[in-house]
Order: sequence, then structure tokens, then C-alpha cells
Amino acid sequence: MIERILLLGMFLIGFWGIVSRKNLIKKIFGLNIINNSVVILFVLEGSRAGSSAPIMEQGISNIVDPVPQALMLTAIVIGVCISALALALAFRLYKATGTYNIQEIKRKVHNGF
Amino acid sequence: MNGPIIPLHLLVMLPVLTGAAAYFLPRRAYQAVMFAGTLAVSVFALQLFISVRWGREVTQFVAGWPEIIAIQLVADTYSAPLVLLTALFFTGTYLFSTLAGYMDKTFMFLFLMLESALITIFLSGDLFNIYVVMELAMITIAILIMYKQEKQAVYDAMLYIMMNFIAMAFFMMGIAYVYRLTGVLDLRVISSRLAELQDPRAALVPYAMIMTAIAVKSALLPLFSWLPRAHGAPSAPGIISAVLSGVQVKAGVYLLIRLNQVFAPVVDTRLFFLVIGFLTAVAGFLLAIAQKDIKLILAYHTISQVGLIVMGLNLGSDEAFWGGMYHIINHALFKGLLFLSAGVIIEEYGTRSYAEIRGVLRRMPVIGIATLAGVLGITGAPFFNGSISKYFIQIGAQGSLGEFGLYLVNFGTILSFVKYFTILFGTPEIEPKPSRDPFIAVISLIFGAAILAGGIFGSQAVALVFGPSYSAAGALSVEKTGIFLATLALGIAVYRYGIQRIGNALSAVRTFKFSFNQITVLISLFFILLLGFSYTVT
Repeated sequence: MIERILLLGMFLIGFWGIVSRKNLIKKIFGLNIINNSVVILFVLEGSRAGSSAPIMEQGISNIVDPVPQALMLTAIVIGVCISALALALAFRLYKATGTYNIQEIKRKVHNGF
Repeated sequence: MNGPIIPLHLLVMLPVLTGAAAYFLPRRAYQAVMFAGTLAVSVFALQLFISVRWGREVTQFVAGWPEIIAIQLVADTYSAPLVLLTALFFTGTYLFSTLAGYMDKTFMFLFLMLESALITIFLSGDLFNIYVVMELAMITIAILIMYKQEKQAVYDAMLYIMMNFIAMAFFMMGIAYVYRLTGVLDLRVISSRLAELQDPRAALVPYAMIMTAIAVKSALLPLFSWLPRAHGAPSAPGIISAVLSGVQVKAGVYLLIRLNQVFAPVVDTRLFFLVIGFLTAVAGFLLAIAQKDIKLILAYHTISQVGLIVMGLNLGSDEAFWGGMYHIINHALFKGLLFLSAGVIIEEYGTRSYAEIRGVLRRMPVIGIATLAGVLGITGAPFFNGSISKYFIQIGAQGSLGEFGLYLVNFGTILSFVKYFTILFGTPEIEPKPSRDPFIAVISLIFGAAILAGGIFGSQAVALVFGPSYSAAGALSVEKTGIFLATLALGIAVYRYGIQRIGNALSAVRTFKFSFNQITVLISLFFILLLGFSYTVT
């Protein structure tokens, strides 16, 4: 139970970061924290049956389900790609407007429509 | 009837492989190769559609793994027509923009990658695979929107990514709980295992999580703020707006159908989505009326039509359901055509404001006719395809409160397009010059002809594409035509004497957008609302 509460806390920290910070980079950090909390949650839920991994040793029973971990490797890679793209866009916006503050960016890119 | 000529995973890979191979060729050659690639995908998709429609559905386990473990690709009555639509749509829009200046290698590669991703979403029978391709589509779309790197477009792409990333976090959390409950990711097996659950309520939390993400993807009521930014991004090429509005939003709607079927043994939320669909449709046209930018009028209008489709799918009658499915195709045709022609108009006139564009019919006759066909289709004019699907949806709603709602939505559609209509007439400031681009003319006319044919042969088209056969004779009855003309007259009158007078009040609505923070909070609220609703009905 304690792990789930910690993960909920982690999720909410990310959420808080997204909502309350004005700095674009910090918002992207928030997204990452949310994503990571979900990844850990997924691995946690996937490891309820079985506990050990059949690595380097013979004859281990009680093997943990490998599918969630394999899936989460994919999810982590996707998360990295999206963070990279988001950071690149944030930098592009910084070069165009001279600020990372999302409200100022919004004001400066607004073009009349 | 034999199965498909090529295995499904090759169909999925073909666009992106073509794009990658063509990347190393000189300009002339790569355009030809890429066009051949999209054309081949269309041919294979057509063959797949034929073998599914008149044969049986195709299921494939990728890489020969046994069921349950393998990633499954399924082509059935729902997905095969949409795959065909996607393939033809991409071929058409590709040809339309062949001579446009922005069609360089990278752009084309990403464009084909988006085609692959969308086809995979339609064919995928595996929950996690859907997650991966949705993320792929999201990254591709973000880059395509800001391809010209104009700063507003970069900002729009940024917000698009962030909103969708949060939605996808919900989706992944939902997958985690579904996996914990059922131990599988395969949609069919999930469905059968959910039916065996001792406590069906355990599945409601993952259901609400997944559906919240899907609601963001299909731009339902409080969560649609990303759509006008993405679809109406000022500097995004017309071809991208067309593809996003024509096909990509439909992927969200398709998943809404698919995943609601998967969770059908556990929960029935049709009433919820019916109401949300109606509210989405109303909010969409209200915002569309207030816009000045022709692309934004179209983008908000997409929201309204998605609402209409979702209403049709959730009314609970067969006619309305297939009417909704048919409207998915119809909307792709006319909205695709409208966005493509809007792209050309904007380039020709150098402005996006509807007030400054006049006399399109005289200055660019072909584009004018195409726009006219699109507008007639979307407003549901008799003899055009929109009238058929709207008629079917209306049958399903007969005698209920929904029927009144549909009249309201139709009225709003017409009202917002009376405004769009004004760009066609009047005298252009510059003398017309002959069009240099034969592709634009040919493709516009093909799309226009399809819109007309889909209306004249309405019930046959539904029977041909989906199977069930309903009579659409009533769509052409005097009563329906009378209602359409009366609504049109009312729309013009309201526009003349109402909307134009209150221009200043509209500007408040026009600039109304949920901010990023509000969207984040609304996603959570939507989740709680849907969860609460599912608990009360289960």
C-alpha cells in the first residue's frame, strides 16, 4: 500500500508542477514525473505474481511476469522521445520570444486571430 | 473469396518503408516513388476491404506468436472501411499538394509515417500497441504542424504535445489496471475475461482512465482545446489540416467505438457519451460562428461534427449507429476538401480573414466549386452525402429529446456556414488568372463528385461499405427538403440580423480558449465525472 501512496504523491507532484509552474521547462519536468510515476506503477502492478528474475541463476521458480517490464521499456523510450521533442520546441520558442514564461510566450506569439 | 494479398503488418509498414527508401532519391524520383507507395497502399487497402466485406474478417498474429501473447492485427467490418478511407485520403491529398513548395523530403517522410500510424491504429487489436502508435502519431503531428517553424505554430505544437501527453499518461495507467485485472492486452481476450469478472466494478477505474484519454483524442466537450490549435494552426500546410480533420480525429472516434465494445460486458455509458456528444456539437458551432479565420471556422466545425458523430454512435439504434459511421467517411470527404481548398485560398489571397476574401468563385472557379460542394455536403443539403448520414442519425433519434437536439445542431451548422459561404461571392479585387496546377483541379473535382455520389446513392453506399441496408428515400422527401430550406432561410436571417449586429460580443467568444492549466484540470474532472457516471449505472 505504501508504494501506491508514494506513487500517487509522485503523480500529484508532477501534476502540481504542470499546473502551477509558469516556466515551460518545469512544465516539461512535470510531464516527465507524471510519466515516470505511471511507468513505476505499471511495473509494480505487473510484479504482483512472482518475485524473482531468471537471470544468472538456474532453477528459479516463482518467476515474475516479464511482459509489463518489456512494455515499460517501450514506454520509457517513448517518454524520452516526447520530452526531447518538447524541449526542442521550448528552446525554439525561447529563441523566438526570449523567455520560457508561458504567459509571456502566449502574449508574444499571439497574432491577432 | 481469398484473404488479403499482403499480410497486414506489411500494409502497415509499406508507407513508412516507402518514405524511408525514397528519402535517398533525387527530388523528381522520390516524389514518384512516394506517390507509387501511397497508391500501392490504396490498392492493397481496397483489396483488403473487398476480402473483408465479401469474405470474412482477417486476423493476424504478428511474428507467429500464439494468441494472447502476440500483437494482433484485425481487419473487420469497422476497421477495413476506415483503412481504405485513410489510404485513399492520403493518396488524394498527396496528389493535391504535389506541386506545393513545402513538400520536401522530410515533410513527405513524416506524412507517410502518419499514414502508417493511423492505419495501425485502425488495425490494431492490442491495447499497448494502440498506445504506442497513438504516441507515434502524436509526435509526427506535432512536427508537421510546426513544419514552417512559425512561432505561433511552434507554440500550438507545444501545447498539443503537453495536453496529449497527459492524456496518454491516463491511458497507460488504464492499461496497467486492465493488465492487472485480466492479465492480457489483446482486446478480444480482455473483453471475454472482463465478462467473467466477479466484481465488474473493478473494471470501472481503468475504463474511465482509458476513455478520458480517448475523449481527449476525439476532442469531446471540455477537452477539445488542442484541436483548433492543431487543425487550424495558421501556418500549417492545408494538406496537414485536411488529414488531421479528415482522418486523425476519426481515429479517436474509432477507438471510442472499439473500446466501448471491449468494455461492453462491464459498463454501458451510451447515455453519457450521447449527452457529451450533443454538448460538443453545440459548443463547436457556437465557437465556429464567432471565428474570423477561415481555417479556425473549419477547425471548430470539426469539433461540432465529431459531436454529431458521437451522438449518432450512441443513440442506441442501428440506423443511427451506421449513420454515424457513414458520417465519419462523409465528414472526411467534405472537411478534407474544405481544408485543402482553404489552404489554396489562403495562399492565393494572402489572408485568413473571411471578411477580406471575396469572390472565390470568380477568381478561382475550380476551388470555388469545390468549396461549394463541401459546404453543401456539410450542411446536409439534399442530394449531397451529409444529408444521408444526418437522415440516418435522425431516424435513430425520432421521438426523443435527441431529435430536437439534432435540429439545433443542423441549424448551427448552417448558420456557421452561411458565414463561410460569403467568401465565395462578390467581386474579387484582382482579375482571375488561369490555374497552374492541374492536380488541384482534378482532385477537387474527384472529392466533389464523391460528395455528390455519396448523397445520390446514399443507402447503396452504406450497404456497400458497411453491409446493413436501410432505405434513405426519406432523405429526399419534400418534408426533409422543406426543413432544410427553412433552416437555411432562418440561418441566413439570423446571420444577417443577429450575428452581424453583435460583432463585438462575439469577440469574447472568439478568443475563448481553455488555457493549458484549465485543460489539465478538466482532464481530471472528466475522469471523475465519467467514473461517477459508470458507478451509478453499473
